[in-house]
Amino acid sequence: MPENHIYEDLTLVRRRANAVFWAVAVLIFLVLSYYWKVQIVEHKKYTALAEANRIRQRVLAAPRGLILDRNKVILADNKASFKVSLIRENVKDEAMSMAGISRLLGIDVPTLRGRVDLHKDSPLFEPIIIADGLDSRDVAPIESRRREFPEIVVESEPQRTYPNGDLAAHVLGYLQEQTPEEIRARPDRKVRAGEMVGKTGVEREYDDTLRGEDGSIYEIVDSLGRVRGTQATVNPTQGREVTLTLDADLQRIAEEALEGREGVVVALNVKTGGVLALASYPTYDPNRFITRFTPAEWRELMTDPLSPLENRAIRGLYAPGSIFKLVMSMGGLDSGNITPETTVYCSGSTQIYGAVRHCWFAPGHGAMDLSAAIKNSCNIYFYALGRKMGIDLIARSASRLGLGRKTGVDLVGEKDGLVPSEEWKKTTLHEPWYPGETISVAIGQGQLQVTPIQIATMTALIAGRGDIIRPHFAERDVEGPPDMTDRPAIDPALAFTKPTYEAVIAGMWRSVNEGGTGQGARVEGFDICGKTGSTQTMSRESAARLAQAGREVKTHSWFTGFAPRTNPRIVVTVLVEYGGGGGATAAPVARRIFDKFRSKLAAEPGR
Amino acid sequence: MMIDRRLVREIDWVLLALILIQSLIGVFFIYSSSHFIPGAYHVRQLIWIGISFLVMLLVLVIDYKYFVSLSGYLYGLVVILLAATLAFARLVAGTKSWITLGLMQLQPSELAKIVMILVFARLFAEYKSAYLKTHHTLGALLVAAVPLTLIVAQPDLGTAMTFIAIIGGAFILAGLRKKAIIVFVLAALVLGIGGWNIALKDYQKKRVTTLINPAGDPRGSGYQVIQSKIAIGSGGFAGKGFAKGTQSQLRFLPARHTDFIFSVIGEEAGFLGVFVVIALYFALLARMFLSVSKARDRAGVYIIFTASLLIAFQFLINILMIIGLFPVVGITLPFLSYGGSSLLTTYVACGLVLNVKMRRFANV
Repeated sequence: MPENHIYEDLTLVRRRANAVFWAVAVLIFLVLSYYWKVQIVEHKKYTALAEANRIRQRVLAAPRGLILDRNKVILADNKASFKVSLIRENVKDEAMSMAGISRLLGIDVPTLRGRVDLHKDSPLFEPIIIADGLDSRDVAPIESRRREFPEIVVESEPQRTYPNGDLAAHVLGYLQEQTPEEIRARPDRKVRAGEMVGKTGVEREYDDTLRGEDGSIYEIVDSLGRVRGTQATVNPTQGREVTLTLDADLQRIAEEALEGREGVVVALNVKTGGVLALASYPTYDPNRFITRFTPAEWRELMTDPLSPLENRAIRGLYAPGSIFKLVMSMGGLDSGNITPETTVYCSGSTQIYGAVRHCWFAPGHGAMDLSAAIKNSCNIYFYALGRKMGIDLIARSASRLGLGRKTGVDLVGEKDGLVPSEEWKKTTLHEPWYPGETISVAIGQGQLQVTPIQIATMTALIAGRGDIIRPHFAERDVEGPPDMTDRPAIDPALAFTKPTYEAVIAGMWRSVNEGGTGQGARVEGFDICGKTGSTQTMSRESAARLAQAGREVKTHSWFTGFAPRTNPRIVVTVLVEYGGGGGATAAPVARRIFDKFRSKLAAEPGR
Repeated sequence: MMIDRRLVREIDWVLLALILIQSLIGVFFIYSSSHFIPGAYHVRQLIWIGISFLVMLLVLVIDYKYFVSLSGYLYGLVVILLAATLAFARLVAGTKSWITLGLMQLQPSELAKIVMILVFARLFAEYKSAYLKTHHTLGALLVAAVPLTLIVAQPDLGTAMTFIAIIGGAFILAGLRKKAIIVFVLAALVLGIGGWNIALKDYQKKRVTTLINPAGDPRGSGYQVIQSKIAIGSGGFAGKGFAKGTQSQLRFLPARHTDFIFSVIGEEAGFLGVFVVIALYFALLARMFLSVSKARDRAGVYIIFTASLLIAFQFLINILMIIGLFPVVGITLPFLSYGGSSLLTTYVACGLVLNVKMRRFANV
């Protein structure tokens, strides 16, 4: 074209552009030939596929792995159930469909709509579960009217079931459906819409182990959407088993012993740290809300003032009361402030820093050495020791025994507790430490806060004469999280000397076996060592006022102990809220667990 | 700004007509594949066609040279937008590719395609050597790398792939020696192997392995491709009839009105429909590509060529993808697939081609 010559010479680029276009043209022709091959040459094959082979793919949910106790008793199982889902794509008239389904399933329309709205961002062809946990009798009337409701699908799915009801409910935890947001936030976990995953307890902690691999089924459906057969099935793989250290018999005894009260029982294997029993009362039956929908039961549990859903063993914060005298004794001996022979005279009361302090035993215990002071749980002895030690040494001793931080048990939500110190008070409360507070801490009151599992772990440390354990539920051979039995929760460099342990253990033994405060835990022929505690839940003054008004004042009651004295096997820690004196309430509870354990030990000495 | 009468006469009315015919065919099959679900997608698509058409006319009013001169600023703007999308846009379906502007949702990565066309036109406007030199190549690659990295990070690999057409097109035009081609192929291999092992997510890898063995992926793209191929194959010569395709009407086909619209055409209009649409596409692309002879300068040639190649590339990838000859990468079929953002980009790209073509004599 002549007119182009007045501009620059573009022939080279134009030639290249044209060449590329012809290459594109050839490609287009080749693709068209391929379409010819598929549509004309292979038409019959694809028509056959389209007619007879209309494959619809469905997910087959994998059953979760079983949870077993140490003797392979099944604690969490699966059972067959049915669920009903709605495929929004197939809805013709929304209002009519909603009303129809509401009548068919007996769900009110607002609930149904709320359920569908929750998933409004997911693709239209994805089924939304609108009812679950149904058995074959519930499903029969729905199936018989399937033709009228092309938008709903009935499928079977394995449903979690806890065959022992509320047994070990706080250990096992429960399942909940993940919201679409939660699923989207963690695409790596591959949680399918509507899948129930562990929310608390072992179900949560070992969710990755317990969850299986979903399968799929390819169904042949006719032009009306009716299933005509199966083309292929990829079977789901069940999740792996988790075997717990828990002993179902001991657990049952522990729960029975607590029935009707609020409290905790923790039993540990001294050598391994394996949890033999962990009961928290009040409890709940997880079977009653193992559905995707929040029934009244669930709301009741959530709002119950006694909070049955809380695992008090790891989340309940209590003052340790006289249990803390074990810490005082360990710290006092180790620092040289006392020897096992150090004697203090108890007259029932004493004057410290200008205030009168009382022993719990008004007539007074008389002159006592350390083991007698532990046996009688004498306050006067430990007031004197506390004054000598000072708050910082006390705090350090508590921390050496694992208080004030998590034990590392394999359950989510464990609390730290609190060990107060001068520095802690300065930084958090911006107040100086008063010497009087040290005296309160010396008998386990004041700002001290511990969880029952911390006390059990501490007791195991004393029982094992310094062998550090980490409480845990999963047996060593469970895949997934690393081996936790040997992972120390406390720095071994901070170990106490052997005589220190023996001196304290001597006091604990006398407490149970020589008519001390712990005698309620005594089991004939089983060398139990223990310590009781009762915790003021209010100040002494208000307690006195209430008592004058004729109201019953009850303290939290503690017992922690182990057996046998030499070569110990089991630690039992009991807390009963508002149980009164530790010796009267908690020790007998512990006794039942010790007794059961001893008879099991006798039946199978190899354990 | 008034438009010169002479310029109006120079508008390629045939190309304009081809664009509209393709779009209307798209609306028919969007209706066919989505009329049974709520959303009135065909109506929405018609509205989008209207909007895109108006924007295209606006693009015609201003001389493309002006756009090219602005390309530096546009580049800055689009990089900021992409970065902002990455930082602020809420997660939609696992990728951060949408930004919400009032009622309209905008995909800055779509805008980036247009800007890249203009930026490359500017970069190569004065490039008169017969072959591409190393420093020029590296410079151009660096310019492209910034927005491209941001798009890959979203991650929107489908859109990022279309950049290959723009960058590759410009390089081909500037002239590639054998040596350069070998280097590019080697680099692509290294990037490909490295990317496969490091960057690609499992689901993306699956899409590629599915290509080789569609039955190997029970849940995802294998199923899509199998269903799509059945739809096309069962369409036969004349198809099953409008809105009568069993595969699409019975919802076996996923993403029917968007990425897989051509499968619906294959099923309901048969090979005849496929042939007509491909033939129309051929005519349209020919009309676009061959306009390079009408460009008055080098920048114009680059604009026409990269814009045409961009559309040709997406068209080819899409029709290969739905028949199982290319991994499912989420590239729409320009003009026909449902979706405002992609429609708008395609129209603006065509607008640029028309713009260059109508100003072939212009010194205005």
